[in-house]
Amino acid sequence: MNKHQNNRAGIRAWLNPWRYGIERFAYWLMRITGIGLLIYFIIHIYETSSILEGKEIWNKMLDLTQTTEGHIILILVIGMATFHTINGIRIMLGHGGIGIGNASRPDYPYIPKSQNMKNKLCIYASVGLAALAMLYGAEVMFGE
Amino acid sequence: MIRESTIMKIHYATALGSVALVVIHILFRFTQNFHDSLKFENVLINYSLLPYSILLELILILISIHGFNGLRIILLELNQGKNYETLVTYSCLASMIALITYGSRTILMASMGMI
Repeated sequence: MNKHQNNRAGIRAWLNPWRYGIERFAYWLMRITGIGLLIYFIIHIYETSSILEGKEIWNKMLDLTQTTEGHIILILVIGMATFHTINGIRIMLGHGGIGIGNASRPDYPYIPKSQNMKNKLCIYASVGLAALAMLYGAEVMFGE
Repeated sequence: MIRESTIMKIHYATALGSVALVVIHILFRFTQNFHDSLKFENVLINYSLLPYSILLELILILISIHGFNGLRIILLELNQGKNYETLVTYSCLASMIALITYGSRTILMASMGMI
């Protein structure tokens, strides 16, 4: 490994959500929720394939998921999906130049125009709506 | 090789497509009681509907592309290098194809009643 590569902060720095403010937290949460959703998706594909094995195996698989732990995992998935979707739309709009302000001369204290209140509010809204979606999911799964 | 800018457009298009289709997929669970909708017979009826099977297949393809490309992006952010990037890209592509094949098998066999 060369000198440049040794200088990298690596996965520990990547896993730290607390540097550089709420944008960094959104960056971190976007990736964590993305990985979580991909894992859930793969498990979901495997889980639903049990329908080919017949009713007994399907019911056994369903029993595994229709537990308190299974419901909690599903509620987390609902939260992850909601945050990932709303924050993803914010990022898409930002990449399209929407909501990041006009280009201007960088002056002290060099705060990027893209990190404005609109974007910060969007991140807080994503987290808030994810929490609401999780509450609704919990009501559907535990309320019946 | 496809340009990264084109890949990002595909990434965003698959994201928007997935969101729209997953909403329909979830709404299907609310056509009746959530727990009843997951009963073996009810799920088989869902699969027997051709438009619904097409919807499931589209969701499978879109989320697989979006998910594994997302994973590729995360892994490329962590480390760079010609061999590493090639390995990550082809591994994600192979995993995506494997998952689509496995999921398509379920949709195809269930929709044709091969149970």
